[in-house]
Amino acid sequence: MKNNLNRRSFLRTSLAAGTALALPVPAFAADVLNIVLIVPSPAADVGWSHTLELGTKALEAEYGDKVKVSLLENIAEGPDADRIMNKTVADGNTFLILGSFGYMNGGLKLAAAHPEVSILHASGYQTAANFSPFGARYYQGTYLMGMAAASLTKSKKLGCVGAFPIPELITSINAWTLGAQSVDPSIEVSVVWVNSWFDPAAEQNAAKALLAQGCDVIFSNAQDTPSVVTACEAAGAYVFNLNSSMATYAPTKYLGVVGTDWAPYFKASVAAHLAGTFKGASAWLGIADNCVFLADWSKDIPADMAAKIADAQGKIASGAFSPFTGPITDQADAVHVAAGVTLGDDDILSMDWHVKGVTTPLPK
Amino acid sequence: MNAVEFILAGMLAAATPMLLAALGEMVTERSGVLNLGIEGMMALGAALGFMVTYSSGSHALGFVVAAAGGAAISMVFAALALGFVANQVVAGLAVGVLASGLSSLLGKPFESQTLIALPKLALPGLAEIPVVGVLFQQDIVVWLTLLLALAIWGVLNHSRLGLIVRAVGENPHAARAVGFSVITIRCAAIAFGGAMAGIAGAYASTVYTPLWADGMIAGRGWIALALVVFGTWQTGRVVFGAFLFGALSLADLTAQAVGASVPSQLLACIPYGVTILMLAVISSNRKRLRLNSIASLGQPFEG
Repeated sequence: MKNNLNRRSFLRTSLAAGTALALPVPAFAADVLNIVLIVPSPAADVGWSHTLELGTKALEAEYGDKVKVSLLENIAEGPDADRIMNKTVADGNTFLILGSFGYMNGGLKLAAAHPEVSILHASGYQTAANFSPFGARYYQGTYLMGMAAASLTKSKKLGCVGAFPIPELITSINAWTLGAQSVDPSIEVSVVWVNSWFDPAAEQNAAKALLAQGCDVIFSNAQDTPSVVTACEAAGAYVFNLNSSMATYAPTKYLGVVGTDWAPYFKASVAAHLAGTFKGASAWLGIADNCVFLADWSKDIPADMAAKIADAQGKIASGAFSPFTGPITDQADAVHVAAGVTLGDDDILSMDWHVKGVTTPLPK
Repeated sequence: MNAVEFILAGMLAAATPMLLAALGEMVTERSGVLNLGIEGMMALGAALGFMVTYSSGSHALGFVVAAAGGAAISMVFAALALGFVANQVVAGLAVGVLASGLSSLLGKPFESQTLIALPKLALPGLAEIPVVGVLFQQDIVVWLTLLLALAIWGVLNHSRLGLIVRAVGENPHAARAVGFSVITIRCAAIAFGGAMAGIAGAYASTVYTPLWADGMIAGRGWIALALVVFGTWQTGRVVFGAFLFGALSLADLTAQAVGASVPSQLLACIPYGVTILMLAVISSNRKRLRLNSIASLGQPFEG
């Protein structure tokens, strides 16, 4: 533990020593790194929080008794989260993983007040000396899913259930559309925004509304429950989602998953923290970083398409190809990205327009 | 299936969780008690209903346990509001928070599990009508809910029991003077409201969206409360309001799916706007307010 000696830690150490005398197992070991993962939703068997939890499980597997991971789930963003973060640091945790955008401001203040603590923060944009934002390049995976969807759709209409129209989700939808159009330029994509991060009933209705319009491949964009996946399986439409596999909820119609594996990033960050070399930096991780991966592909995808997808995946991983390479036309039929131009990270991170072929107007 | 058919097919089921909770709350409020814990009681019913249905395979048993759970937690509210004559707003909110906490705790091992939905029952004859026929293909709970609404209307307006409940809500002192136990009647009305909220939650988690996820009620309990005001405590208007709210919640989604350029947020907030309008209209003068609201609603009664 890298704690400075102060009254609080002195008292705690004394208490721990006292407990250690009384009990056969010491309550605190001096060389254990205490890690806390704070997530906004319940950590279930699937979903965003689950993938972060898997990342910390990998830390436990790597470091064994040298780390102690605590999971705080279902912590609402806001002042209460700040209080909880402060308490975890006061309790001797020196490595924090904050699993939601809304923890950013509280986390930054905490980082400034406690230079000995290292913090990883999901999907933010602020960086400090001991505060690193991290995110996944989902669009690399959704482009490949678009190719797969194009090979299976009969109606040439794809549908997406989205949470909120923010750049991260818009980017995934655009890349999906571009991937599908790379196979069949006539393919169109409808989008329904639920305007909620969490409302399984509305998500399922949104999926049904898309299915009723003839969409036969559905993208469950940022839903943590299998609401959309089960509705699509019941209706006989292909479906894929992000983060962790929901194949068991759609045994016959699961297209695949654009998964995220945080273990390599978490391991590297903890190693840097232990070596005293942790340095705050933005980490936007993709296929090449072994963060974004594709798995549980549907067996219905034709072999020649599977080969093309594998080829494209290789080119994305090597950096030879980016889904956002011009010419790209927007919904208003204007050329948004000129031929031969590839969008940079800043343009992708702030994307607020849809490519041509997305039929639903983007809410203003 | 076009957009109109989609809305017709889904609006009754979308309305049912809100309608069940609103009917129960309407009876509670008719007796003069305001229970603001409906959202939490629905969440508890959803958790209990899911757990029991998942473990036993019986939807009916799930509904029974959810109703019992909703009634049981509403008795905590009754003890505070009637026994200790606590402020009903505060007591209702507190018990609602307690109930939603309980639902998280109980449902934890079942997070993201799924169930098989109930089959749709088509009303013979009616279901074959073009376009509107889809309206008559619903699961059994939807049909039972409509029958229940009819029964509640009958009891409230055309029976001695209904007269007593209404008397207690309008003027508890007079009701007591003629020999009725205000506390007993109100306690029963609260238990009924709690049981209905439990059933509403169970419908949401075992039939409507057959999966368990903490927080899945997502504000439908609050909409149920708004519905009671929207319907000015009249069964028929509450049923109509529930259908309207259900249809609007689907219109929001289907408008986007067809690519219409109507602002979806606007459609989504229409129910709330209409409710505020309704409140404004009935409160606009003293006579209207007196005719359309419950005289002793929310007022503590010391028997």
